[in-house]
Amino acid sequence: MRARTRSLQVAILLGGIALWEIAARAANPLLYVPPSAALPALRDLLTLTSYPDLPSHLLLTIQEIVVAYGLAVLAGLGVGFGLGLNRVLGRVYAPILAALYAVPAVVWYPSLMLFFGLDAASKIAFGFLLGFFPITLAVLAGVRQTNPQLVTVARAFGARPHVLFVKVMLPAMLFTLVGGLRTGLALSVIGVIVGEILGSKSGLGSLINHAYGLARTPDYVALVVLALGVVVSTDVAATLLERRAQRWTAE
Amino acid sequence: MSRARIVMLQIVSIATLLLAWELVARAGWVDPLFIPAPSAVVAGFANVADTALGGLADTFAKTAIAYVLSVVLGVAGGIVLGSVRGMRDVLNPFVVAAYGMPKILVLPWIVLLFGFGTMPAIVYGTIHGFFPILVMVTGAVRDVDPMLLTVARSYGARRRDVYVKVILPAIVPSVLASMRLGIVFCLLGVLIVEMFAGIRGMGYVLGALANGFRAPELFAATALVSVASIAIVLGLDALNDRLSRWRG
Repeated sequence: MRARTRSLQVAILLGGIALWEIAARAANPLLYVPPSAALPALRDLLTLTSYPDLPSHLLLTIQEIVVAYGLAVLAGLGVGFGLGLNRVLGRVYAPILAALYAVPAVVWYPSLMLFFGLDAASKIAFGFLLGFFPITLAVLAGVRQTNPQLVTVARAFGARPHVLFVKVMLPAMLFTLVGGLRTGLALSVIGVIVGEILGSKSGLGSLINHAYGLARTPDYVALVVLALGVVVSTDVAATLLERRAQRWTAE
Repeated sequence: MSRARIVMLQIVSIATLLLAWELVARAGWVDPLFIPAPSAVVAGFANVADTALGGLADTFAKTAIAYVLSVVLGVAGGIVLGSVRGMRDVLNPFVVAAYGMPKILVLPWIVLLFGFGTMPAIVYGTIHGFFPILVMVTGAVRDVDPMLLTVARSYGARRRDVYVKVILPAIVPSVLASMRLGIVFCLLGVLIVEMFAGIRGMGYVLGALANGFRAPELFAATALVSVASIAIVLGLDALNDRLSRWRG
C-alpha cells in the first residue's frame, strides 16, 4: 500500500511536469516557462552567468534574515516572558498584542519603508515584525499551560527562581515554545523576501523583481527555485534543532 | 482584576503612549517627515479620507470574493481529502509543499498571467486563504471520531447521511476556526498584490503615500485599515462564540 502510494506520488509529479512542458510549449513558452527552459536558466544562475553578482545578493538576504530573526527571538522571548510571568501586565497587554496580530502585517510595510528607507533596514524591520508575534504569543501560551501545581511544588521544595525556570517551566512549555520559534523563523524569512520583492535595490527578492520586470521568465523561475532552496534549508535546520530540543526534554 | 479595570488600563496605556508620542514630536526630537505627531496624523486623515475609504472598499470587495472562493474550495477540498484516505495519503506531500511555500514567490508570475486588474488580487488572495482552510478542514474530517461513523453505518445510514448528519456537524468548530484564520490571509494576499502591482485598492494607496513621503496621511490610512481588519476578526470571534454557545 505504501509502495503504491509512493509510486502514485511519483507518477503525479512526473505527469505534472510532462503536462506542464507540453502545455507551456503549446500555449506561451515565455509566460508559462516549460521545465526544459527553466533548467538551463537554473544552470546559468548557479554558474553565475546570468547574474554574476548573485552571491552578494544571496549573502545580503541571508544576513537580513539572521538579524531579523535574532531580534525577533530576543524581543519575542523578552516581551512574552515579561507579559506571561506578570499577571497584571499579561491581562492588560496580551489582548492588545493578539488584536494587532489580526492586522495583515503587510499594511505596516510602507511605513517601515518610509522610515527605514529602501535598504536592508526596512527588510530587517519587516522580518522582525513578522517573526516577533508568533514567538511572543507562543511564549504567552506556553507560560499559561505550565501546570501551576508543578510550580507550587517546586517552590515548596525550595527551588530558586532560575532553577524553577530551567527545570520546571522550560521543559513544560518547550513544545509550544519551539513551535512558536519555528513559525517565527518561517515568517521572518517570508518577511525579508516580501520586503525585498515589494521594493529594494539588492537581495534575492530584488533579483526576482528584476527578472520579472524584464520578463526574463526562465531566470525568474530559476531564482524562485533558489529562494525555495533557502526556505527549505532554514526549515531543515529548524527541524534538526527541534529534534535536539525534544531529546533534551525527554531526558 | 475586573474586566472593566483591564479595559480602563488598556485605554490609559494607549492614551499615554499617544500623548508621549505627541510631546516627543512637538519637542522636535523626531523628524516629522518620518514620524508625524498624532495630531498631524488626525489632520492627515481629513486629507486622505476619501482616497483611503475608496481604496478600502475596493480592497474589501476583492477580499470578499477571494474569501468566498477560499472557504468554498477549502472546505469542499478538506472534506474530500479528509474522508478519502487513499487520496489524502497520495496528495498530502503536495498539499504540504504548496501550503508551506512562501506564496510571495509566485506573485510576480500571477501578475504576469492575470494582468493589472482585479483578477490577480482575487487569485492571489484566494491562494493565500485556501491552503490554511484546506489543511485545517482536512485534519478535522480525518479526526472525526470513528466510533460515530461506525455507529451511523451500523444503523444503516447512507453515505450521504454520514456526511450531512455526522461529519458536517462534527467539523463545524474547525471550519469556523479556519474561516477566522482565512480572512486575514485573504486580506493579506489582496493587499500585497495591490502594493506590488500598483493596482487600485488600499495596498496601492499605502504604497503611493509612502513613495510620496506623505507620512501623516500614510499613518492615518494604515490606522484605518488596521482598525477595520481588527474589527472584522473580533466580529468573527464574537460570531464564533455565539455559535459555539448555541451548539452547547
